Amino acid sequence: MNPRIRTSALALLAGGALALTGCSAGGAADDGTTEITFVGADPAEAFEPLIAAFEARHPDISVEYQNIPFDQYNNVIQQRVGAKDPSIDVLLVDAGASASMASRGWLADLSKLRDQAEESSIAASVEQSVWDDELWALPFWTSAQYLYYNADLLEAAGVEPPTADGERWTWEQVVDAGKQAQAAGAEYGLLFDQTDRYYQLQPLAESAGGGSGATGPDLLTADITNEGWQRSMDWYASLFADGVAPRGVATDQMNVLFASGKSAFFVGGPWSVDPISKGEPPISYGVAKNPMFEGGTPAMSTGSWSIGVSAATDELEAATAFAEFASLDPEGNAAAVEQIIIPPTNLSAFDAYIERLDKTDEPNTAGMGQLTLSELQDAAVSRPNTVGFTQMQDVMGRAFADIRNGQPVGETLQKAQDELQGLWDRL
Amino acid sequence: MLFLLPALVLLIALRIVPMLGAAVDSLKQGSASADGGEFVGFENFAYLFADPGFQSVLAVTGLFLLIIVPGQLVVSLVLALLLVERVPGLGLVRVLVFIPVAAPAAVATVVWGIAYQPKGPINATLTALGLPPQPFLTSTDQALLSIIVLMSWIGVGYWTLFLIAGLQDIPRELYEAAAIDGAGWWRAFWSITLPNLRRTLAFVVVANTVSSVLAFVPVQILTQGGPAGSTRLIMYDLYNNTFQLGDVNLGQTEVVVLLVFLIAVTAVQFRMLNREEH
Repeated sequence: MNPRIRTSALALLAGGALALTGCSAGGAADDGTTEITFVGADPAEAFEPLIAAFEARHPDISVEYQNIPFDQYNNVIQQRVGAKDPSIDVLLVDAGASASMASRGWLADLSKLRDQAEESSIAASVEQSVWDDELWALPFWTSAQYLYYNADLLEAAGVEPPTADGERWTWEQVVDAGKQAQAAGAEYGLLFDQTDRYYQLQPLAESAGGGSGATGPDLLTADITNEGWQRSMDWYASLFADGVAPRGVATDQMNVLFASGKSAFFVGGPWSVDPISKGEPPISYGVAKNPMFEGGTPAMSTGSWSIGVSAATDELEAATAFAEFASLDPEGNAAAVEQIIIPPTNLSAFDAYIERLDKTDEPNTAGMGQLTLSELQDAAVSRPNTVGFTQMQDVMGRAFADIRNGQPVGETLQKAQDELQGLWDRL
Repeated sequence: MLFLLPALVLLIALRIVPMLGAAVDSLKQGSASADGGEFVGFENFAYLFADPGFQSVLAVTGLFLLIIVPGQLVVSLVLALLLVERVPGLGLVRVLVFIPVAAPAAVATVVWGIAYQPKGPINATLTALGLPPQPFLTSTDQALLSIIVLMSWIGVGYWTLFLIAGLQDIPRELYEAAAIDGAGWWRAFWSITLPNLRRTLAFVVVANTVSSVLAFVPVQILTQGGPAGSTRLIMYDLYNNTFQLGDVNLGQTEVVVLLVFLIAVTAVQFRMLNREEH
């Protein structure tokens, strides 16, 4: 081959390896109103009441919402906010991510609103956005987990179901009952809504005494090979090895399986009520406390999105006003949950939500409001507020998937711990 | 020279500048932070090559290339030899072979993802035939092969197109002369087809190697590198470090490694081709 052509071919082929860039825009409209852009991971309808209420209160500011799918959310935020893109003014910040984002200088400091936030919101929801003693995002939503059960499948198996205000079941009890239901015709015994996500599986280890997995003064020392993690993950692995839960089914299909009457139990959030209530034909279900391990402690996932202001915004005042309204104003925070079943963090809005929860899908959701209150008080465990949470979520997600797929638990946890520590040491 | 200017500007803006950017970022740490990060020399390279996770990524990518490139080449060549013949009804077979090429990789991946499900059509067929169902994407032994089958389903038709064009360029007289000399099919294939197809084969090997190294979509959609890292190819690892973990510098270090590897592979393959020509 001609050397010149060869060189060109080499350059072109080698250049194909590159595809890493990003771009931007933002500002004030012709009619004099200030335009701000708000991004989140839920569909636009979820925020329509909030935006309408804010615009009615602030006619000089208009808000445009952009939806980024959950699986791409952190990725896109990193690309846009990380590149100082001013076209994002307000953004939802996942629980655990605020420290990581703040440490990179992506979030505006909202500490001047801290006293107000602590006064008007659920304490833990403020705490999740504090890093380096400053407040980087305002509380927005929180969450709780419930043990959903299929009343008909349990009845067919002769199993007395747990109740919303009764004794907390153990995981061992749930599996036994799930297996009995399978013997009586149920396809699966127990499903998790978020199969491989740290959010939902952290309480397993916490309940077995394993802790969050992040220790040390900055929560940057990995500890996921202790006895509690080993015990809880052995149990988790056995669900899939014994056929109590299925392998190879995508996480977003789990609530569909439960809604279609294929599983005796399902662990999910308040948002699961919506798809479950739309199952065809409808199933008869109930909710109970998130289980714990025998001899362990109660532990239930909590925390959710906070609302932050991008450090790169050109409209700091308008963006802060929107975040403040969405979080600290009872009307704004209540509007933020009008179209979606998830607890708000503002204390006044929260009380109204609890009353509404019982009526969401009566009679199946009877007692859910009181259950949420007691669980948030007795069993809630937050995700570790560490600058290394992004790494933790990624590494643990893969470890959970491997354990689910039958890899040896001890070896997988050790490998994950080594990898996580290596990534954390770089921070 | 003036005519070359637009191409040159594009080449510099879209290829050279990002390459230099990657090289610079690979020598820094914390580029995604507000202060722009700091210069750390070759620390990222040292970390990467000492990391058992990255060593595993290299091993998986190497194994993947060793299987997929020769595998696709052989299948494409066999198909090209069959499809180059002028037989009635062959047009329809050609269309069937080429259709997957037109399917976007994401669509093909989703279709295969359904097929590979534990209760999907492949396992249903196996069960109907009295064979045990297979774990496919959830098994460390089968996941990489499952990805290779999927990618080959898309890729084989594409490479076959090039090989058919190469076969059609071989003068028919050479085969007629060989037939007169008493050469059989195998002898004609070995002494006429392969030598005359060398340029096309070399192109297919190089282009297939490059595109296989850059394979990303099936891994991202179906396995996210699992189970146990058995499908964690370098492009996915690079993506994960850059976009999921936000470690731009580690990602760019992998870009540099990838770039050096691709340049080396391409250079070696073109050099071998030239040597054979002399």
